[in-house]
This record gives sequence, C-alpha cells and structure tokens, in this order.
Amino acid sequence: MSGVLALSPFADSVPLFVDTLGAFFRPRTLFGVLVDGVAKAALYIMIASGLTLIFGLMGVLNFAHGSMTMVGAYLGGLLMVLVVGQETGDPTRLLVFGLGVVVVFAVLAAFGGLLEIGLIRPIYDRPPLSQILLTFGLTLILDELARIVVSFYGLQPISEWQAAMATKPDVLGQQHDLVVASVSGLKLFEIACGILAVVVIWVFLTRTRYGLYVRAGSEDSEMAAALGVDVRRVFTVVFALGTGLGGVAGILLAWDPSWGASVPLAVETLLPAFVVVIIGGLGTFRGTVAAGLLVGLIDATMTWWFQNAIAFTGLPEMTIFLILVIVLVVRPQGLFGVEEVGGH
Amino acid sequence: MAISPSDSADLTASLLLSYARDHVVHLLVIAVLAAYPGIYAIAVNSPLSAQAVAVLPRVETMVAVLYFGLFAISFDFVSGYTGYLSFGHTMFYGAGAYLVVLTANGKIPFLSASTPFVLLLVLCGLLAVILALLVGVVSFRLSGVYFAMITLGFSQVLYVFVRDWNYLGSNPRDGVAVTGRTAGFEIGIPGVDSASLAIGQLTGDTAELLGVVTLTTAEVSYYMVGLVVLICYFAMQRVIHSPFGRTLIAIRENEERARAIGYNTFYYKLGAFAISAFFAGTAGGLFAGYRRSVTPESGFYFLTTGDALLASIIGGFGTLAGPLYGHLFDESVREFLSKAGSGGGLLPYLRSNLGQGTLETVIYNGMTIGESIDVFLNGRAALYVGIVFVLFVLYVPNGLLGTVRGRLNGTVAKGFPMWFRQRLPDRDSDQSR
Repeated sequence: MSGVLALSPFADSVPLFVDTLGAFFRPRTLFGVLVDGVAKAALYIMIASGLTLIFGLMGVLNFAHGSMTMVGAYLGGLLMVLVVGQETGDPTRLLVFGLGVVVVFAVLAAFGGLLEIGLIRPIYDRPPLSQILLTFGLTLILDELARIVVSFYGLQPISEWQAAMATKPDVLGQQHDLVVASVSGLKLFEIACGILAVVVIWVFLTRTRYGLYVRAGSEDSEMAAALGVDVRRVFTVVFALGTGLGGVAGILLAWDPSWGASVPLAVETLLPAFVVVIIGGLGTFRGTVAAGLLVGLIDATMTWWFQNAIAFTGLPEMTIFLILVIVLVVRPQGLFGVEEVGGH
Repeated sequence: MAISPSDSADLTASLLLSYARDHVVHLLVIAVLAAYPGIYAIAVNSPLSAQAVAVLPRVETMVAVLYFGLFAISFDFVSGYTGYLSFGHTMFYGAGAYLVVLTANGKIPFLSASTPFVLLLVLCGLLAVILALLVGVVSFRLSGVYFAMITLGFSQVLYVFVRDWNYLGSNPRDGVAVTGRTAGFEIGIPGVDSASLAIGQLTGDTAELLGVVTLTTAEVSYYMVGLVVLICYFAMQRVIHSPFGRTLIAIRENEERARAIGYNTFYYKLGAFAISAFFAGTAGGLFAGYRRSVTPESGFYFLTTGDALLASIIGGFGTLAGPLYGHLFDESVREFLSKAGSGGGLLPYLRSNLGQGTLETVIYNGMTIGESIDVFLNGRAALYVGIVFVLFVLYVPNGLLGTVRGRLNGTVAKGFPMWFRQRLPDRDSDQSR
C-alpha cells in the first residue's frame, strides 16, 4: 500500500489536506478565486463563442479558430505597440484598445469570409470530416506563416510578446481593493469585456434579423433556405463573425501575462475552446456561456489548490479535460445541447 | 470420390500460385523498401551525389517513417474503417513508448530492466489494449464529433499526467530518456544472441552480410523495425479482409443497418479499437526503442495524432497501407525542406550550388536571395506540408492510394496484375490462332 502511495503524485500532500480545506473556505480566498474564475470564464467564453456560432450553424468544427485568436493577438498587439508610447495616458491606451478591437474584428472577419468562400464552401457536401481536416491544414499554414513573419521582425515566436503587454494601461496592472480582497485591474477589465461580448452576441442572436436567420439556420438550414433565407450568405457572414470574435479574444489575451501574444497561443486557446464548446453542447450559445463559467471557476479553484496544496503543476489543465470526459459520459450532448447536433 | 495425392498436390500448387499472384505487389513493395538503403548508398556515392543527398530521405529518417507509419496505419485501422475518428490515438503510442523507457529505467514494478525488447513490444501492445478497452467502453457510447472529442480528452488528461508526474524522471516536462540500460534494444528471438540484432542510432548493432557488405546501425535498425512493421501490417490486413473487417466497413457505411442486420456494433467497434491500439502501442515501443527517449509532446500530445491524420489523408483514408506512403511523403517533404546539417535537403543544396553572386542579389528592400531562402526554407516544412495537405483535402480527397485504387477498380494487389496483363502483348489470342 505504501508503495502505491509513493507512486502517487499527491503523496506528500495528504496530511495538509484538512488545513488547506479550511484556508480555502475563508471568504477572502473564496472571493479571490471567484473573481479569478469569472475572469478566466470571460476569456474562455470570448474564445469559444466564435467557435460555437460557426459549429451551430454550419456543423464545421473550426480547427483554425485558435490560429485566428493568435493572429488577432499579434495584429492587435502590433497596432497598440505602434500607437502607444511611453507617455501615453491610460484613457488613450484604452481608446487605442477599443480601436484595436474594431480593426482586428474587421480584418479577421474579412479574412474569415474569404476563407469560407474560397475553401470551405466547395466542400460542404462532403462528409463533416473533410471540413475538420481542411481547417486543420489551415492551422498548420497560418501558424507557420505567423512564425515566419514574427521571427522576420526579430521577435521570439515561442515566448510572449512583452512589448505588446507593456501597452497595458497602468490601472489594469495594479491591484485594487474590492469588498474583501484585492483584485488585479486586468481581471476586472476582462470580466467587463466578457460581459460586453456576451451581451452583444446575445442581442445579435435574439434582436436582429440576421440573428434570426442564424438561429433558424442552426435549427434546420434546409427549411430556412426553403423559406427564402439566403443560407449560403448567412454561412459566410457567420464564419466571418466567428473568426472576427476569435481575433477580438486574441487582442485581449495580448495584455494578459498568463497568455500573451505568441505563436503557441493558437494551440493553447484551441483546446480550452473545444472543451467549453463541447461541455456546453455544440451550437448553443447559452451552453457555451454556462460551460465557460463552469470551466473558468473550476480552473481557478484548481489553480488555487495547486498553488497552495497539491504539488502537481498540471492539476488545473487535467481537471478541465476530466470535466470534458465526465460531461460527455453523463450527458453526451453537453449541458444545453440538442441530441441530433454533431452526432454524424 | 477420394482425392488422390496428385490431385491434392495440384490443388495446393494452384492455391499457392493464386496466393502468390495476389501478393505480387506486396512482394514488389517489400523488395523496393528492402533495397532502399542500398539504393541510397549507391546514389550518394554516384556522380549525382549532391542531388541525391538533397532529395532522398536518409535511412535514419526511413526508420522513423516505418515506426510512425505503423502508428498511422493503426490509426487508419480504426478511424478509416469504422469511421470513428480516434483523435486521442496518440495515447496508445505514448503508452507504449513510455512503457519501454520506464521499464529500461527500472521504474515499472515486476519488470526487470533487462526484459527482452520483443516481449516488451508485446507488453506495449497489451497495455494499449487495456487502455483502449477502458477508454472505448465509455467513448463508444458517443459518435461523430463527440467521439473524437472524448478520446482527445482522455489523451490530454494522460498528456498532462506524464508531463507533470515527477516519478517518471527528474524533469518530466522535457521527457524521459533511457538511463538504466546501456545495451541496445534487440529485435529477434529472445535469448538467442545470434538471432537478434539491436536497434538504435548509437547503441544498435552493425552487421555483415555474406562478408561483403557491412550494414550501419541505421540500416540494421531499418531492417529490424521494418520486420516488425511488416508482421504488424499483415496481421492488420488479415483482420481487415476477414468477416470482422467487413463488418467494420458496414459500420462505417451505415451503422444503423449493420445493427439492424443483427451485428452488435458496439463490440465490433470496441474490438477494432483494441486491435488498433495494440499496434499503436507496438509502434510506440519501436519508437522508444530506436530513439531511447520520449517526450510528453512526441508521446501524448494531440498534434502527434494530427501527424497520423495527415499521413492518413495524404496516403488515403481507409486504405490501411496508404498512411505509410502518406507518412513517407510527409517526412520526405519535411526533410527536403528542413535545415538538416548532415542530411541534405533543399537549403544546403541551394547554398552550396547557387553562385555567390546570385545569393547576394538584392530582391526586395535590402533582402538578398540568400536571406530570403533562409527565411522561407529554414525549418519551414510545416508551411508547405500544410499547403499540400489542404490541396489534398480539396482536390485528392481519397489520398494517394485511394485514388490509385479508384483507377484500378480495387486494391492494387488485385488490380495491378490485371492492369498489367491487359497491356501485355496478347498471348492467349496468339496461341488460339
């Protein structure tokens, strides 16, 4: 028995467990973990919502989504590095950020639209696997192109782009006292961005004519086409929007020290995005938001446990994938998913 | 009526003949692969040496093509034939690889560090089968994208686990290397020294053939790994051509109908998953035995499955042998476009064969041709492989072997002799005249 225990990665942490449990349930800790979790959730939701829109309508699991986020991070970072100087004040920096969001969204949406028309549209009638494969190939190309461009300008493609991170306003870099604990400004900013993104997407889906088309197309694209909706154009628009959203998530990540603009960001964001989309149920925006919150909170909790009790670096990441497996076992269609979607 | 001895001898002869006829193409492929190190050696020493070094993959690379090809074939066995995309397939490969390295380091209870490698390969396979049964029982309740995602989830859990578990090595993030066993991993009959040869670049055996040709360690590894891959391939091919394999295709084409006919598709899928895992584990074992080290990325990361997927798509999905050619293609392109110091490739070739004047010509904004070659060719293989891959998905959806099969109306083994005979001068009509 002791041999088995020695094999376990958690061996040295067993006696600590009860003490740490007590420490975890202090209001201060709980509040910190909650804010941390919601901030992570906001990022996850922003990364995953584009993916979920595209899958819900077109049934294409877009493997290139992470690369779009990566391109967005570099593009946004470039814009901010060019405009923001040492003396630029905080309000101006936030303004530049807002401008960056618009520019990144526009550029990537245009790019996504072109991709859809040029590459994905010709293979809609093929089995869904081909579309997965095509976007998988796109990831290879985009990542390598990014690596070429980035190293051409003398940056390290693997490590985070520090210059872009330095354009962050000072307010966001500092700690702020809030209720019981001090919280970093960046996390609050991320939460605000996340809420804004969710509200905008929700309004688009439920209050605009195009959102109506999207929802109708997700439900039954043939029927929508029969009723006179130009489904092909809706497909293009949604692919463009989804790609743009991925890019916007990227510009936010360029400021976050635990992510940062780098080429591996593509893969690092792709996997959590998949997890969130699958847990929420493929193609439901509501599910994605719920799953994002779930994954974010659990991630934050596990990060705290790792930092304070369990000496196993991979704990948060492993838990996220375990949740994916458990959710799929218990509820294969995801939390809010409809059974028919995705089970080709 | 009793069959006379001469009749049965005739029958055996004709059976053998038809068997041989069916396998002519296999024999040809094996012969070409077996002759490759010789061809390479001759080409490199010929007047066209520089070109040969630049274009032909090295024998070391070919060893990798063989063991990873086996992994890609096993991936195709389950994904191409049942239609269930096993996106976490790398977990079996990694499990096999880690088993070999950890056993050699004495970290696996009850297994001594000097366990014969051939036995280890079987154990790798069995470990993978156990893993596959555990994962499969849960995962085959799902289908489509969900199946791909749950297997991905399992493999990522294992990836994080081996990456961060300190028991495996002093720095598990950078992988684990064989430290507890200085001898090479021998393939052959265990215990019989004269009937087994060690693989590995540094620890492998060299061998003398008929006292004339001396085989280098890479060439010995190539043949020994090739032998295992060949046996595994024929085993899988046998299964695919059995009624069991036909049922798998039925499941791919229409699972509901297969179930309606009365097949318990769940057990068939699980069986296919386990068989394919066995060979993926063996491939992982070969990989670790040859490289003598394994990293979490090369063993368990999902992009390793991505490489198998790439090989399958380029070679032909659901063709079994295709992925080997697909991976050969992939590796050749990668090596051709990589910066390899000793192994040749396009970049060193251009550097040494373009004139100094050409290299220093400025083409754009102060960038010379030499620099632009560096930027676009130095280790950029992934870019071109990606482009080739996208083109294949768009324009050659059946892959290399799949397209050839389509042209020949059947497998190459059956179709090629037929095609060949049609183009021969018509012997039969000559006789009748």
